[in-house]
Amino acid sequence: MKITLSIPTINDYTAVNFDVLFNLWNQVNNDNLDVTFEFSQCGFLRHNAVAFLGGLTRLIQSRGGTVRFALNTISEKVKINLAQNSFLSTLGFGGAPWEGNSIPYREDLHQDKIALVDYLKTHWLGHGWVHVSERLRDEIVGRVWEIYANAFEHGQSPIGIFSCGQHYPKQHELKLTVVDFGVGIPSNVRMFFKHDARAQSLSAASCLKWAFQRGTTTKPNGTSRGMGLDLLKEFVKLNKGKIEIFSHEGYAIIDSKREEFLNRSTFFEGTLINITFIRDESYYHLASEVLEEPLF
Amino acid sequence: MKLNVFELLGENCITLEDGQKIFDLIHPELSASNTVDLDFKDVKIFASPFFNAAIGRLLKDITPDDLNRLLKITNIVPTGLAVLKRVIENSKEYYSNPNVRKAVDEVLLEQSEAL
Repeated sequence: MKITLSIPTINDYTAVNFDVLFNLWNQVNNDNLDVTFEFSQCGFLRHNAVAFLGGLTRLIQSRGGTVRFALNTISEKVKINLAQNSFLSTLGFGGAPWEGNSIPYREDLHQDKIALVDYLKTHWLGHGWVHVSERLRDEIVGRVWEIYANAFEHGQSPIGIFSCGQHYPKQHELKLTVVDFGVGIPSNVRMFFKHDARAQSLSAASCLKWAFQRGTTTKPNGTSRGMGLDLLKEFVKLNKGKIEIFSHEGYAIIDSKREEFLNRSTFFEGTLINITFIRDESYYHLASEVLEEPLF
Repeated sequence: MKLNVFELLGENCITLEDGQKIFDLIHPELSASNTVDLDFKDVKIFASPFFNAAIGRLLKDITPDDLNRLLKITNIVPTGLAVLKRVIENSKEYYSNPNVRKAVDEVLLEQSEAL
């Protein structure tokens, strides 16, 4: 089936902005589609939209479909951004990326520890636009790694994981979106509790809340496995950052002032995480743990 | 036994797979009541999957008292220590209270109260 989808301007200011992406996913969630994305109504695509559109393209292709970008409908400003962050070249539309405020678009089918750490250290944090010491940089990378570890271990995304970041100098913010097109956190939580009939009635919001609690895991392999999201959550809250998660109908928003888990009307089967950090070290509290005996 | 983690794994201790490598080296030693010194000098980035696999699992069949006596952690940066302490807390709770039904009860109760 042939369809043309219009991509509007897409921000990440509110949850409603993300609904545009999830509605696109709903429209292409079929096999053997011939999809054209056109951009005549698009004034800007934020990093969340770039990561998601890349994943959507791979999803359609993986299901036997084809994807075209109507390049002649893309405004010069958007085209420059998509070229600069390597989105166009990665998807085979030519051009070569260059350095700017964009942080490269990235696709990872498998967990490549060295490449991903380099991406976070060098391309995301390391351009000089974030005023952080090496020690803080390493701490941020470790905490953000928890997102990737979860996505690779629990996400079951057949097409991998998609990332894109952006530096927003006026807002003094550094952002990163990581999205997978797997089974979603609520599905993993309900599966973990499958022996209990009541588990199927757990709402997506309750599942997200459970996933953020200390020490929880959905891998029943006899090994204690905190999901690590609690570590990320604490770091974000302490350092005036923000984390948003969308998975199924569930939505979580966590910052220094709130920790909310809601059920929304829009459904997305995978998991999208959008994080925001302030780019000035003076706002941060570094870990100050001291080695004391006994440790266990 | 003394292990220099940086020489084995480099400066990132973040994955399950790397944690498993350390576990496979130290678990037999600790099970045989031999002391182990894990030296984290020059390791810079830490994440919970590594410690879950390397250290958290030790608590399955080795007591905290024995681990305090036999396993020494040295030269670890505060960030890494914070993650390690959290993993040990979680692991102790998990192995002492693997009551999954209770967890469902708690989540369902919270859900009903929120409605």
